[in-house]
Amino acid sequence: MSGDGRIVLDGRPIPYRSGDSVAVAVMRAGEHPQHGGTVCLAGDCGNCVAEVDGIAYTRTCQTPARPGLVVQRHPAAGAPPLRAARQIDVTTAPPAGRIPVQRIEADLVVIGAGESGTAAATNARGQGRSVTLLDARDGEEVVGIYAGPTVIVRTPKGMAHIHARDVVVATGAAELHPVCPGNGLIGLVTARAAEQLHTAGVDLGVSVAIGSPPSGVPCTPVGGSLRRIEGVGRVSAVVTVDDDGEGERTTACETVIVGLGRAARTVLWRMADDLPVTVVGPAAQSFPLPEAPTAGTVCPCSRVDVDDLVGVWERGFQDLELLKRAALVGIGTCQGSACLPHLRAFIAERSTAIPEPFTARPASRQITIAEAAAGVHVDAFRRTALHDEHVALGAQMDRFGGWWRPWHYGDHVAEYWAVREGVSLGDVSTLGKLVVSGPDAVEFLERLYPTGVGDIRVGRSRYALLLNDGGHLIDDGMILREAETRFVLTFTSAGAGHAEMWVRDWAETWGLRVHLLDRTMSLAAINVTGPLAGRLLERVGLPSPPRFLQHVHAEVCGVPCHVMRLSFTGEVSFELHHAVDRSVELWRALMAAGRDLGIAPHGLQALQGLRLEKGHVIVGMDSELDSTPRRLGMEWAVKMDKPDFVGRTALARTAGLPDPRRLVGLTMPGSAPTEGSPIWSDRQIVGHVSSSFASPLLGHAVMLGWLKRTPFPDEVMVDGRSAVAVAPPFYDPEGGRARA
Amino acid sequence: MNEFVERRLTLRWQQAKRAYDVVIVGGGGHGLATAYYLAARHGITNVAVVEAGYIGAGNSGRNTTIIRANYGIPEAVRFYQHSLELYQTLEDELDCWMMYTTKGIIWLAHTETAMRAERARSLLNLACGAETVMLTPQEVKALCPQLDLSGGGRYPVLGASYHPAAATARHDRVVWAYAQGAMRLGVHVLQHTRVTGLLRDGARVTGVETSAGPISAGQVLSAVGGNVSTLAAYADVRLPIRTHPLQAFVTNDYEQAFQPILSDTELLCYVSQTERGQMLIGAEFDAQPSYSLKSSFSFLQSSAAKAMHLLPFLRNLRVLRQWTGICDISADFSPILGETGVEGFLVTTGWGTWGFKAIPAGGELMAELIASGRTPPLLEPFRLDRFASDQTMADPGSTGTH
Amino acid sequence: MPALETLPGLRIVASPEALDAAPWSAGTVVLRFAPDDAFAIGATAVDIADDHAIVAEESGFVGRWLTREELDDRLVTHIEWPLPTALPALAQGLIAGVPAKLWLTTDRVLLLCAAAYAAELADRLG
Repeated sequence: MSGDGRIVLDGRPIPYRSGDSVAVAVMRAGEHPQHGGTVCLAGDCGNCVAEVDGIAYTRTCQTPARPGLVVQRHPAAGAPPLRAARQIDVTTAPPAGRIPVQRIEADLVVIGAGESGTAAATNARGQGRSVTLLDARDGEEVVGIYAGPTVIVRTPKGMAHIHARDVVVATGAAELHPVCPGNGLIGLVTARAAEQLHTAGVDLGVSVAIGSPPSGVPCTPVGGSLRRIEGVGRVSAVVTVDDDGEGERTTACETVIVGLGRAARTVLWRMADDLPVTVVGPAAQSFPLPEAPTAGTVCPCSRVDVDDLVGVWERGFQDLELLKRAALVGIGTCQGSACLPHLRAFIAERSTAIPEPFTARPASRQITIAEAAAGVHVDAFRRTALHDEHVALGAQMDRFGGWWRPWHYGDHVAEYWAVREGVSLGDVSTLGKLVVSGPDAVEFLERLYPTGVGDIRVGRSRYALLLNDGGHLIDDGMILREAETRFVLTFTSAGAGHAEMWVRDWAETWGLRVHLLDRTMSLAAINVTGPLAGRLLERVGLPSPPRFLQHVHAEVCGVPCHVMRLSFTGEVSFELHHAVDRSVELWRALMAAGRDLGIAPHGLQALQGLRLEKGHVIVGMDSELDSTPRRLGMEWAVKMDKPDFVGRTALARTAGLPDPRRLVGLTMPGSAPTEGSPIWSDRQIVGHVSSSFASPLLGHAVMLGWLKRTPFPDEVMVDGRSAVAVAPPFYDPEGGRARA
Repeated sequence: MNEFVERRLTLRWQQAKRAYDVVIVGGGGHGLATAYYLAARHGITNVAVVEAGYIGAGNSGRNTTIIRANYGIPEAVRFYQHSLELYQTLEDELDCWMMYTTKGIIWLAHTETAMRAERARSLLNLACGAETVMLTPQEVKALCPQLDLSGGGRYPVLGASYHPAAATARHDRVVWAYAQGAMRLGVHVLQHTRVTGLLRDGARVTGVETSAGPISAGQVLSAVGGNVSTLAAYADVRLPIRTHPLQAFVTNDYEQAFQPILSDTELLCYVSQTERGQMLIGAEFDAQPSYSLKSSFSFLQSSAAKAMHLLPFLRNLRVLRQWTGICDISADFSPILGETGVEGFLVTTGWGTWGFKAIPAGGELMAELIASGRTPPLLEPFRLDRFASDQTMADPGSTGTH
Repeated sequence: MPALETLPGLRIVASPEALDAAPWSAGTVVLRFAPDDAFAIGATAVDIADDHAIVAEESGFVGRWLTREELDDRLVTHIEWPLPTALPALAQGLIAGVPAKLWLTTDRVLLLCAAAYAAELADRLG
């Protein structure tokens, strides 16, 4: 900012002098930063906003001139263009990361470094408090005061987020803008702006002063009050009248300097009326309202005239808020700074009371969306320990439940056959895993789950639903008993986070003696599945693998594993839970050991088909927010003869109610209909398909679908074709293959 | 000269009477629309709408003005499609310019799970009479050239569902137009009149206690937003409602260049350009229930970051104003309409983040219920007693955003 | 930013009293994630006076020791919450939007997060 230089205004270079703001430089060149209207040079109004370096609505009076700065005036009519910025370079950090954010802790933030603000800061410092003093003249613009209180500030160096105990608002008072015919011409300045321009050496030409004159600025004071301003484009004369409204007098001039009084800058404290905010100095004063406006532009930001106000008022919008919304006043760039005193005067003249100012909302001083976003990051995604293995194997990765997971490795049908006929690996590291231990562990789990828990023997496991108080399914998984008083619970990948909180909440609510340890991100898990899975595990150190629903701790390929025998795919399956830092080693060893067996990994896409052939429900995909075990056909997983469990009251209450909702199995020849397809019966929609799969092995489509009208039809139409209800599982209904 | 200044609608205020056939609590879109339809369709004009502040002060004046019918359950699609169709002819019916503009809404999918949900949505919508189709990324780009299909390198667009009939309208004008229509037919709208209790005769509700004195009524309809739990408690009705803040922000005005409504169910943000040229950005409701109307910086920060991932051109636009409304969210994310089990007391609530688009249908059908005593078929699924009978209307895929 | 390395150790969930009384070998850094939850970095065994304690080998965290200067220069800009001043202290929260933890001592600082977030955190810290 040192020295003189040039900026570019609408494509033309114009000079500036050291210390000039952009607005001053533009006015020095004999131009107006916009296309007319009173200039205050105090950041209050929107009359000097322009596009500066590609950012429209920049207050040029608050922007220091610097070499090469590009200023484009907004169009005289209409709005500035919506420029499509160049595409963000996706190889670099997110754009918000490029704007520096300073985080500041302070006992006190003082907004405004004038006399009263400086005094408040000095006083607080004297009491040993840490103080951040914000000075708009140094380009520190306060965006808003938020809960905390947190003061968000735009500074020349980036954004500052200031966390304070107390806030002092010492923003002073703004000069009133004139409202009269001709107030949109070029050549109107406030008294203080005139002083600034004169000091900067800007020639104002033949100047007249209305009201309180500026100090030190050569001008002719004109008595009386302002009636109108004349001129074409620019001011050529000012017309005043006596205080009794008579005796119109015209004075020729090039500049009208208006000193019509002041109004407290109240935006910031109106925004923070529920926070520890103190107002001092002129900002706290009550200034007299101006005369009620009778003609001219009242809201320059929205280009609204007094006539508009009168018209709206007369049509019944007789309330400051209704007037604001109907006439669109006070909601533009300056957020009412220029017009609010005049609006209040307008209403006060027409009603019995002076209306309170309307609510103030951020942003008090505007920031770009990038500046708003500075310092924030969007959601973090998780990777399993095998992420790079999947990528190396050509997997198409997809996000599911906040994790990156392999959707397929190029051919989901081949992956399907590997599971059905050979042996395959699936990365199930994302499953929730929670250890429960304590003298009350059985009691706790009996209350938590609708299934029986106490009768699960050590070394055995049981599938269980997790219900909410409404008896609706929120998650499912396994309960594995490791010792009399120690269990491992598993949850679905997408539901694990919520399930863990759910379990912890109940542990605290009931006050039972249990310890809980979430192992979800500490343990990886590989599902070894397929008719040859047992043979593979024999080779790698597990000569007698656990039987169906049993689990053991054993070394596999030299890696300590908790081996769980269960089945989601319908084939023999062993879930190997192990330390995340050993996962790549285990995966590679298994892949190598199974090479001659045709081992191949399978992704989520194949898994969704495999489990569907078995009729297994995926929570959140087949189940809905209000799915009870009865609706899911899973009442077998609920032990209503237990004294209590979460959801039991609701299930008992609704058991006798009619319930026209069922999740059913459906089959039909040919291809699988799109998931979500409506199910029709008698030309009515009676439900929808929740999952579908064209079974390569069965040679027809299998589906789970909701029927929501009784009587439940045996035959329905899906995708224009006839489908029949078939009780799942569709594949291996006796379950012999999984138990083999 | 600002072309958007209100120059057609006229509001005529009346002195309160001591008694009305129907008193509607809440001078927002739903309350005023119900009053209008009572008068216009059923000849019931001895009606008062009682408003604590000014009309449209609540969510009717704080929403993001999106009108659409692409819901996830048949009952909702049919209801909102009916509402959308009423909206399409509302400017004629109410003799006003609501700035109703058909824009089409694009719901982006970034994952296979999201693609699956959008495919299901489009099939269901088509089957229930609302047009929603799937788009390829290239088709999305053609409709919204400013979109970065890589999602900032983080949220690549796999596809989208597209609901071409989606529209926006100026929210205030919808409120005022219904107010004008109701007032012309003799309805009284009483502003700055706060309801402080309900008049009871035994269990029956017989009127309202207000800051301006008691007003008796044959029937009382609660059409309040935000404080419905308090009002219902006066009638000893407990509603499965939690009230959450919902925030949004707009930029300054820019020339018209962004045609569609862009919505994202993973990032939970949505973007459109208003008729006045502001870019409007909204998000999901705040997780923490609250009655506070204060805006938070964390909302501005996170929604700005999300929107920039999709629309990099937004980065240099300047934020004009952020604001907050409070939403009544029901236990199944669907509205609650009709009888409460207490004679003389009805509710229209649970409008969550989707009440604006429901104003015409909600008003029309509630008026029919009040006038006839029978629940119209489109309202039947949304009765309060569905919670007791466990026949809830869960529509998770349509929650969270607008 | 150099890579985050696995921090092997023991994870113990036990009664707060038992954890308070646990005899750790000298130099073991023990992070109390919660009153009943501790992560003892480098530990391989511990004697805990709680029959129901959960003691598990833990390799799910990755981390890196930083100097106080590195913390100020590289990390603080990514942290939107106040760092504890009474040292040593464990702090837990989002760092660059990733769930992470800091163990702060007078002369050095351990940054750690779940291994599942390691790639994301490393990306964001640059």
